[in-house]
Amino acid sequence: MSFVSPPAEADAGANVPSHRALPSRRQLIQVVVVALVVAVLLRPLVKNPFVEIMGEALFVAMMLLFAFTAAGAWRQTVIPRWMAQVAAVTAAALMSPFIVQMLTFGGDVSAFLGSRGHVRGYFLVAAVAVIVGTFFAARALSSERARGRALQDALERETLQRQAADTRLDLLTAQIQPHFLLNTLANVQELVESGSPRAAAVFRSLIEYLRAAMPHLQDADATLADEERLVRAYLHLMQMRMPDRLEFSVTIDPALAAMRFPPMALLTLVENAIRHGIDPSCDPGKVEVGARRLDNNMVHIWVADTGVGLSEHAGQGTGLANLDERLRVFFGEGTRVELSEQEPHGVRADIRARVPA
Amino acid sequence: MTTALIAEDEPLLRERLVSLLARLWPELRVLAQARNGREAVELFDQWHPDVAFLDVHMPGMNGIEVARCVAGRAELVFVTAFDKYAVEAFRQGAIDYVLKPIEEDRLAETVQRLRARLQTPAISREPAWDATLERMAAQLREKLVPKPWLKWIKASVGSTVRLIPVEQVIYVKSDNKYTMVVWEGGEALIRKTIRELADELDPDRFAQVHRSAIVCLDRVSHFTHGPGDSGEVHLKGRTDRVAVSRSYLHLFQQM
Repeated sequence: MSFVSPPAEADAGANVPSHRALPSRRQLIQVVVVALVVAVLLRPLVKNPFVEIMGEALFVAMMLLFAFTAAGAWRQTVIPRWMAQVAAVTAAALMSPFIVQMLTFGGDVSAFLGSRGHVRGYFLVAAVAVIVGTFFAARALSSERARGRALQDALERETLQRQAADTRLDLLTAQIQPHFLLNTLANVQELVESGSPRAAAVFRSLIEYLRAAMPHLQDADATLADEERLVRAYLHLMQMRMPDRLEFSVTIDPALAAMRFPPMALLTLVENAIRHGIDPSCDPGKVEVGARRLDNNMVHIWVADTGVGLSEHAGQGTGLANLDERLRVFFGEGTRVELSEQEPHGVRADIRARVPA
Repeated sequence: MTTALIAEDEPLLRERLVSLLARLWPELRVLAQARNGREAVELFDQWHPDVAFLDVHMPGMNGIEVARCVAGRAELVFVTAFDKYAVEAFRQGAIDYVLKPIEEDRLAETVQRLRARLQTPAISREPAWDATLERMAAQLREKLVPKPWLKWIKASVGSTVRLIPVEQVIYVKSDNKYTMVVWEGGEALIRKTIRELADELDPDRFAQVHRSAIVCLDRVSHFTHGPGDSGEVHLKGRTDRVAVSRSYLHLFQQM
């Protein structure tokens, strides 16, 4: 929603704060000052006493101002408001000196037309009025438009900021996952209260996980070793929650430890394996995570589970599209996660990426 | 003596509930502990407990489905982690619930309520389970079961079955026996027919353009008329094209 729509578009008071039909005091003062200045400038050109010049100048100026504001307040949709205002000012500029002349001649048009001096005087005043009037009208309109645009920009910026904040919040929520956290803490609570010696190890994993889960998306320094730590922590926590249903192994070639890798990418695959594969199954399952070097500068990374497998209709937010995008950016076109079914059941995710030698 | 059944898939939480109940309600005897929904129903039928503590998120059958099976035959308490939808449903249904991580005070309140309810004769404690449970089950199902459109296409590539995300599909073409799916990662053969796919693919994103072809609309760059009543769809960033038959020309009328 725009605050002040640009003059070209139809507005005429549509969604614009309604313009007052009367000028403001500031405008009146400004106009009076301009009228006086014009009167002073015109003095050497005309024979009339200064009082008369000033009187006419003030009158014409007032008419112009009122025409401008009245046209601004007039709700019509035929022509853009700015056009109406400029037209009104021009009309007033032509008419008001004429009115003055009529007042002088008591309404006798032919007498007026007969007097060359007065006709010349009329045109002089009218010309000055048109020029000065439209100049000031244009200036007022353009500053109004600039103000409107500034407001609009500010509004847009604020909206964008809010959207960005919302997105960050969503991302953060997705990473922190309150549901996961509360469930995990519930388990930890029991370990602690029963005085189990496992509690310390579990806490360490939880801290490890949380630390790694902090927004790291821009982190270009994340290595496969970081990812391994994160994934181990996560799997350890998951195993605490379902000891009879989860087995896991992580075999990452130590030579690849320093390899750069998009942060939380491997975790996403492991989460999917647990959430969509192992957790829904009543039977025990295994998750395998591995990374090894292939020939010709290729690296093969995989996450495999023996869970329930992926149904054709599943797929609420597996984050795969996002992951593919990040892999493409990191390793180049064509790098993607390849999913396949495992026998007898389960899913396997493979990434084959080219790395610099 | 009051008897109870606990259904919870995470063993530590199961133990926690058992030990808390032992402290808060020593007279309560926990007859059975189930690890999933199916076990819960089996054990319920076997032991006929007075009270059942049911975790909502369990593999296989979830807690609400269990509740529908055993409703009316015992006092039920749901155990759930922070889940707005669930808590709301429970509040409406006036079925008791306990949030995970379980706070002792909260469980004590629940225990009090249960004991009070068990005192009153069976006839007077007959809330309208069915409607409430059905609503909750529906809500739970909505959360878990996504839209019915196909999300993955299973295709054979060599000796493996690949799972191709539907977003990466460019088009599907069939010949005599097999259907071929062309996607960002290559080509693969699938068993489904064009007709089956036409029913299962989201019509907002995919359109059948030929008896033997379906195209992903986002991948279409433009359309050209051919001789007679035919045409071809050109694809973004690719040289291959998909023929459009007369019956489907109308789709491209606007282009």
